[in-house]
Amino acid sequence: MRSLLVVIALALAVAACGKAEDNDTGKAAEGSVKTGPGTTADTITLGYLPDLSGVFAPNGKSMMEGANLYWKAKNDAGGICGRRVEVSVQDTGYDPQKAVAAYRQMSGDVVGLGLVLGSSIVSALLPSVESDGMFLNFAGWTSDILPAKNVAIAGTTYDIEAINAVSFLMAEHGVKSGDTIGHVYFEGDYGENALKGSKFAADKHGLKILEQKITPADQDMTGQVSAFKKAGVKAILFSAAPPQAASLAGVAAAQKLDVPIVANGPGWTPQLLTTPAADALEANYYVVSSMAPLSVQSEGVQEFLSAYEQEYPKGTPSSNGSLYAYAGAQIADGALTKACENKDLTRQGVLDALRSLDSLDTGGTIAGTLDFTDPSRPPGTLVYTARVSKDAPGGLEAIGEPASSPDVEGYEF
Amino acid sequence: MYRALAAAAVIVVLAALPLYLESFWLQTALFAMAAMIAAIGLSLLVGIAGQLSLGHAFFVAIGAYGYAYLATRIPPPLALLAAVALAGLAGALFSPISGRVRGIYLGLASLGLVFLGQHILQNATGITGGYEGVAVEPFDLFGFTFDGSGDLSVFGVPYGQLEKLWYLGVVLVAVAIWYGRNLVRSRPGRALATLRDSEVAAEVMGVDVVRYKAAAFTVSSMYAGLGGVLMALAFGRIVPESFGFLLSVDLLVMIVIGGAGSVGGAAAGALFVTALPLVLNHYSGSLPLLAEPGTGGIGAAEFSRFIYGAAIVAVLLFARGGLAGLAARARKERVA
Amino acid sequence: MNQFVTLLIGGLFLGAIYSLVALGFVTIFRATGVINFAQGSMLLLGAYVIGRTHESLGFPLAVALGIVVAAAAAALVDIVLIRRVRSADLGTLAILTLGVDILLLTELTRRIGTDVISIGAPWGNGVVEVAGIRVATSRVIAGGVALALVTALAAAFKFTDWGVAMRSAAEDGETASLMGIRLNRTAAAAWALAGALAAVGGLFLTSFPAAGVTGTAGLVALAAIPAVVLGGFDSPAGAVVGGLLIGIVSVLTAGYQEELSFLGRGLGAVAPFAVMLLVLLVRPSGLFGTREITRV
Repeated sequence: MRSLLVVIALALAVAACGKAEDNDTGKAAEGSVKTGPGTTADTITLGYLPDLSGVFAPNGKSMMEGANLYWKAKNDAGGICGRRVEVSVQDTGYDPQKAVAAYRQMSGDVVGLGLVLGSSIVSALLPSVESDGMFLNFAGWTSDILPAKNVAIAGTTYDIEAINAVSFLMAEHGVKSGDTIGHVYFEGDYGENALKGSKFAADKHGLKILEQKITPADQDMTGQVSAFKKAGVKAILFSAAPPQAASLAGVAAAQKLDVPIVANGPGWTPQLLTTPAADALEANYYVVSSMAPLSVQSEGVQEFLSAYEQEYPKGTPSSNGSLYAYAGAQIADGALTKACENKDLTRQGVLDALRSLDSLDTGGTIAGTLDFTDPSRPPGTLVYTARVSKDAPGGLEAIGEPASSPDVEGYEF
Repeated sequence: MYRALAAAAVIVVLAALPLYLESFWLQTALFAMAAMIAAIGLSLLVGIAGQLSLGHAFFVAIGAYGYAYLATRIPPPLALLAAVALAGLAGALFSPISGRVRGIYLGLASLGLVFLGQHILQNATGITGGYEGVAVEPFDLFGFTFDGSGDLSVFGVPYGQLEKLWYLGVVLVAVAIWYGRNLVRSRPGRALATLRDSEVAAEVMGVDVVRYKAAAFTVSSMYAGLGGVLMALAFGRIVPESFGFLLSVDLLVMIVIGGAGSVGGAAAGALFVTALPLVLNHYSGSLPLLAEPGTGGIGAAEFSRFIYGAAIVAVLLFARGGLAGLAARARKERVA
Repeated sequence: MNQFVTLLIGGLFLGAIYSLVALGFVTIFRATGVINFAQGSMLLLGAYVIGRTHESLGFPLAVALGIVVAAAAAALVDIVLIRRVRSADLGTLAILTLGVDILLLTELTRRIGTDVISIGAPWGNGVVEVAGIRVATSRVIAGGVALALVTALAAAFKFTDWGVAMRSAAEDGETASLMGIRLNRTAAAAWALAGALAAVGGLFLTSFPAAGVTGTAGLVALAAIPAVVLGGFDSPAGAVVGGLLIGIVSVLTAGYQEELSFLGRGLGAVAPFAVMLLVLLVRPSGLFGTREITRV
């Protein structure tokens, strides 16, 4: 018992004395703009909850590069509403427990969450985020989170990407009704959401899907390719991570399964071009995503690239990491700027401003324009389709303009 | 007299803490309390009964998911008891293996349970919600709901879900410690200790080895289940990832650092392991040498992993009995 | 039928690699009574060194370096840490290695980041075709190397002085030491050997058809644990058989995922552990492990 007493005494000594009163709810008038938690006369604070030490740490770190890049430039240009945008970062370690604790720590001081990485993290935080009434930029593209009036997705969702992938295969690679398509997908929100889309498209067109569920620990795709070969698949959909992509392409080439492989956004990183599978990837690999490939010659992407090269000369930009966070910051910027126009920088004010945006243009970092007015649908429907090219920056070269498959019309989330 | 005063002081302090602790500390404390309960169970199994188990996370998951499933159908207090019983039942069902398999084989066999559990949690989507997880019904005792509703205010401080759950947590931890202490001192406890030292000797003394091993697993699983229920309540929404191999490792580390076989030690170890990364994160801004999240270099999170690993090594090399061992040594030195 | 045979052969070759990793576990256990949970990070360490140095040093030298580094790291763990607490119980020692594993893994994954580091093997993504069955060249080479190493080890254990020293130290440490066998040296040598085996296993596990050295490559060692358990912790033969069995089970469950879907999906991860549990039910000390017979 005594050891427990000592422990408790220690805990008390460390704890803050007295309770912080949450009494700043919509204080009226600093100038003529209403402010609330997270906003003062000089600053706007956004909370960032990436994974910096767990499974997705590399993505998380890349994302923070992109976010810092955007806000630094914005602050140098005068900020938003005459205020500096401050970034308050906490690492979640991709652990829901740490994430909840980290959220509790920062929630009183932020007007919204500029980035939350991981759908299990978002799931764990959503009840508190909703009761605190702030917006949340979700670093993920699963439609399972919908409808969620507090959550903003940067583009369209994995199931839509998959539907577009199927249309692409039918239009450009001779897949027709009656054929079988293989689908390698990760267990969890990412892969299973993509599968939902591919099954929908398959039903619509009389195709059969041969599912292969895998986990990040699976590094060897021999068994999967074998099953695909036996079934005579005409194409493969891929909703997993780069290591598996290289294995899949390499094994398929070795087993003489010469079919196109179409992946969701997270299935690519430029480093894959240094692996033995590079040739196989260049021959048969495509990526469908609403995040722009880095080779796209649009204003937003080029601005991002030149800023990135200047700030991080030794780093590697990535579509799903730094570019995503940059785009997320663009979304937050859009919401905050609109909120400023409405003279309401409270949490509710910013959330309402976000929901009023119906054609946010990110200069091409995200395909098309974004419409946040309907919380039950993703804000984007267009996707970039790209092929692998050793010469293109980032390794991906876009095929044509962003487009959307007509099949998406009838899809229910 | 002194003991009664000390006990009263402890109760007053514990009751008053939610008035002072901010939500970050309350949340951390709740997670730590859930870990404490599970760790005590594991300490009983490993330290007293001498059965190595890497599968404790499996039984924690049963408690958590069991509560989440039942609390929407029967009154939450009953759901709590049922979830604990369910976890205990699972522990008892493991006895064909736990009874016959020994030592390291048992530890690794129980590891298999964790992976089996993950597979079930991800695939039995009807009950477990699969990768999306399930929402957890707030605890409700005779109409008093342990969530943010009701606008309860104590001494001017608004009492929300975290504050209310604190009291539930403290009560459950107290029960867990009290029962554990009693068990260690009782006849079954001594029988288990004999079992740990030598199964042959125990059998010779008339201890039914197979039955006692099964009982040890059952009791420790019930502890794990109770920890799981509190964890579910502390989260509000549970996902399969939280109950994997890492949790089993964490629990083992807790009792190693605290001192296997000691109930108080398990609690202290649980507090240390749970709070360390959260506290380091909290103060990462003011600690020198640590890189800000988002820049290169070693950040607070990696640093806490390093400390975690180093703590395990240090304790095992220099303070084998864990924190409990250190405390016992300090007591002896003071008396002498 | 063709698919079954392809999968079976593929599983056998994969299993050969698992056997190497499993052998590492068993070597340490027999020599020092420790379950080395750090085997996975040593595997990753070896592979990482090879991956980072093959461009500047050339592949053969890089492999040699990787093996040496992993062996040295393993021996270091024994000399600096394990030696101090040789008398401790099984659980303590195992958790000690767990601590080492966490330290090593944190640093390695920090350095690897999102990179997919190519291992630089000269056989690249070549394929060997025999009677219509296609197997990756790297796997065939892995199988050959594994066979050679296992035979060499078995011979060494039986016929060389060092092997005899190992076996007697494992059998009865006190008597062995009385007979002049340097226990500490034998132990360190065993650990170094296990480190080397892990590095070789790591080399092949990150070769084609895997993509390369990634942050998650260390998880594969976890899959070797069922192999060791079901083979019997103190039996090298058991490690080999267990490794092969687990390799076959992994590949078959992946290849037949559609047919097995009623058991849920993603069986590849859990099937080895399920098989392990089943074996333990029937043979509580593994297939070839020393049966403790106590009659009371």
